[in-house]
Amino acid sequence: MVLAERSNDVRNGKRSRGPSPNGHGSPDSSSEDENAVVPFAAEKIRVGRDYQAVCPELEPVEQRKPDQISDRALLVWSPTSDITDLKLDEYITTAKEKYGYNGEQALGMLFWHKHDLSRASMDLANFTPFPDEWTVEDKVLFEQAFQFHGKSFHRIRQMLPDKSIASLVKYYYSWKKTRTRTSLMDAVGEGRNPTSSGTGKRESGAGSEPGGSDKDSDNDEKGEGGDATKWCSVCGILCTYTTAHNSHKLCQACLVHARRTGSMRPLCGPSGRRGPGSKQQRYKHRLPRGIYLNHDDLVAMATGPQPGDATQPGLVNQGEAMLKAMDREIISLKRQVQQHKQQLSAMKRKVGDAGVEELRPGEPPAKINSRWTNDELLMAVTAVRKYGKDFQAIAETLGTKTEAHIRTFFISYRRRYNLDAVLREHEADRGNANHIQPGTTSTESTDNDVANTTANSGSGSTQAKDEKTEVDSEGVSIGASAEQGGPPTTPPKHKPAK
Amino acid sequence: MAMQPHSKKRVCYYYDSDIGNYYYGQGHPMKPHRIRMTHNLLLNYGLYRKMEIYRPHKATADEMTKFHSDDYIRFLRSIRPDNMSEYNKQMQRFNVGEDCPVFDGLYEFCQLSAGGSVAAAVKLNKQASEICINWGGGLHHAKKSEASGFCYVNDIVLGILELLKYHQRVLYIDIDVHHGDGVEEAFYTTDRVMTVSFHKYGEYFPGTGDLRDIGAGKGKYYAVNIPLRDGMDDESYESIFVPIISKVMETFQPSAVVLQCGADSLTGDRLGCFNLTVRGHGRCVELVKRYGLPFLLVGGGGYTIRNVSRCWTYETSVALGVEIANELPYNDYFEYFGPDFKLHISPSNMSNQNTPEYLEKIKNRLFENLRMLPHAPGVQVQAIPEDAVNDESEDEDKIDKDERLPQSEKDKRITGDGELSESEDEGDARRDNRSYRVPQRKRPRLDKDAQPKDDVKAEDSKDDVKNVSNMEEPKKEVTSNA
Repeated sequence: MVLAERSNDVRNGKRSRGPSPNGHGSPDSSSEDENAVVPFAAEKIRVGRDYQAVCPELEPVEQRKPDQISDRALLVWSPTSDITDLKLDEYITTAKEKYGYNGEQALGMLFWHKHDLSRASMDLANFTPFPDEWTVEDKVLFEQAFQFHGKSFHRIRQMLPDKSIASLVKYYYSWKKTRTRTSLMDAVGEGRNPTSSGTGKRESGAGSEPGGSDKDSDNDEKGEGGDATKWCSVCGILCTYTTAHNSHKLCQACLVHARRTGSMRPLCGPSGRRGPGSKQQRYKHRLPRGIYLNHDDLVAMATGPQPGDATQPGLVNQGEAMLKAMDREIISLKRQVQQHKQQLSAMKRKVGDAGVEELRPGEPPAKINSRWTNDELLMAVTAVRKYGKDFQAIAETLGTKTEAHIRTFFISYRRRYNLDAVLREHEADRGNANHIQPGTTSTESTDNDVANTTANSGSGSTQAKDEKTEVDSEGVSIGASAEQGGPPTTPPKHKPAK
Repeated sequence: MAMQPHSKKRVCYYYDSDIGNYYYGQGHPMKPHRIRMTHNLLLNYGLYRKMEIYRPHKATADEMTKFHSDDYIRFLRSIRPDNMSEYNKQMQRFNVGEDCPVFDGLYEFCQLSAGGSVAAAVKLNKQASEICINWGGGLHHAKKSEASGFCYVNDIVLGILELLKYHQRVLYIDIDVHHGDGVEEAFYTTDRVMTVSFHKYGEYFPGTGDLRDIGAGKGKYYAVNIPLRDGMDDESYESIFVPIISKVMETFQPSAVVLQCGADSLTGDRLGCFNLTVRGHGRCVELVKRYGLPFLLVGGGGYTIRNVSRCWTYETSVALGVEIANELPYNDYFEYFGPDFKLHISPSNMSNQNTPEYLEKIKNRLFENLRMLPHAPGVQVQAIPEDAVNDESEDEDKIDKDERLPQSEKDKRITGDGELSESEDEGDARRDNRSYRVPQRKRPRLDKDAQPKDDVKAEDSKDDVKNVSNMEEPKKEVTSNA
């Protein structure tokens, strides 16, 4: 803290402000305030002509003319109830994303048109704000100056004489955060290779150089688990499209070269396919993990209109324009993410503190346990009666078993509980139900039929005849209690019916 | 005082887009950029579109000298980083140079900050708005002829002076972690402005704000200081804020309120030592808003800028009566709010050194002082210490030369003509600046006044709470400064 050392400096009867003293004493330290030795000893409010304000007289009510007082301020926006929030949002988004306005400028335009949304929308194109007056050169210069001088904007200004201090400060605050975006590059780049402390800005500068692509295209294969067919087999660059040519898969640049010359394109770097997995060769300059260069993008960047005179504002080169468009896209997406988060939290709030729990049927699912209790067995059989082979529904009803558990249950207890008969009963019920309400469950029932036939074919349908006597729900419970002695903890592994 | 339910108000907001571009200097904790961050957050929360937005004019030197001395303002206008060396002597005199550095555009910064608060006050006077907000203002340490604590021009005093044209009594509340000494000093001897400051006290900047400092002269009992210890949390703060403010409202009955929302009382502030959350801080705004009085909100301190902009954004939403989501919308400075990107912050686990007993004691002491106020508004009651007479002669000469004398006399007469019955008999013989020294017996309350005070003193020797001091102290100070 710069100001800390000054705490004892007494000028004009006042002491400078220091950081909060952590170790100030006991609560009664204030009683010692009379001792002027302590820093921040009690000061007194001074009284006298030199210190107090002179209060103006109260204007009598009848003499007041509030309408005639000037506002001493310029109204730049006033709220309106004519436009719905949704429409306003739409308008602002258009202004932002299509014309590069900021929210304030967009609203200013609308206010200027007296809240006429359609006129303002039409006028947006006529007054697009000036693009960022900071050129790439300015930005690079600023970064260098900043590394050198820190936050002494006076000194920085000596390197950027055409910028005002205000402009430098403004840029500093918006740049400060974008640094965090490129910090991955910074960190990894500097860690591996101190000479190329590449930031996003400089990368973009390099990327826009034609011919630089070979060197820059080097990739860190480690992070790449992607589609190998998209790697150019000559220069080893990740591409969006590759073309097969003489048993090579080539990127556009290599293809053109190969067609023209009949030989493969010579490379400045080590050649050979350097797809994922081949780690034997390393360039000096490598991109940090997780960052890739797509060759097509590089080509597009490099071959776009190059500004002969980069100083001319408005004319930005292709690469820069592309990067900017990407930036805009990122911002737009981030905006959406935050909006969605807000909506989610608003919905959550609406639902209330209890959340959706309240709406969930019954108590929250108990612990899943593969061991079958008698109650569960009983419930499971009843459930089969009700849901047939919809194992998921059965699992949800029981709450203590997964769908897989039910499946094994069905297989291992099929005989013991005559489940096939239970199923038939279920089918019979459903058949009736289908007659009553056709259409609603028709697809389901066909599914079930198919499942049933396969199931029946798998297990012999011999006992399918006599179980009807036993299998009303009571009958099952008797049967279940008879089996009580040994419900298998780990169900025997049968081959699944399917 | 009638409380109003949570309601929608017409809100005016004052902001100049240049204000974020001023820079106090490397390593300086005061960052005007926080005002722009707040603004950007407001905009992206959709609060902007619900308010009237004004770009204030730059305050003129004329407007600023309504409070500040001419030569101080002249100095501020002429000093620049490149001519500093020519002004060494004046820099010493006006306390400019260290805490209050000379930076590029200093004067314009003051103009914008003051212009916002003055324009906001004008707006309230015109009754064209119920709530006005100037986050660029709130520079409460600036004195009449002196910069202090990062403040050069006291926009609050200028705003209150504007309000006083249309309001007999204006209440000033200060929830900055630092004492609002500049405002208190400016209105120390008037009964038309009550200053109430909640602040950390005890070896802490600016060193003023003792419980016993209660105003002087006509302004006695019109300065209320709530000295607090480290670690104030939301609950404790509300437990002292609510009773004090409701008592003040009841006894003082202001017709307009100015709230200084210094955000350095938030938890985790770079200079502060309280433990308030954004919610607890904003609660003060909500409570004051409920009184339904013309309401001026200004900024102030606040040195952890991401929390400052959170806080002021939330308080703007409170002023508007609009609920905003805890998830921050994407904005130009989104990355500053990581890693959670939420509006609200959690308190730290620091210990709260303000025990309920301590707060209770302070509260009772302040209640005793407030009881000294005349209940019926406009009835003037004054207790003037007799022992303050002796240095009167020393200042007498100066006062006679004071060119503002006619104005001040006129003031006195007019307030007398108005509602302040008591001041009439002091009338013409009195001069504003030494009014407290004129030995004057006030009629009804003096005996009662003396009685509880003695009790207090006796009690005080036992406990650690600061006493209501004897009346000599203001006088001593004058002697040393005169």
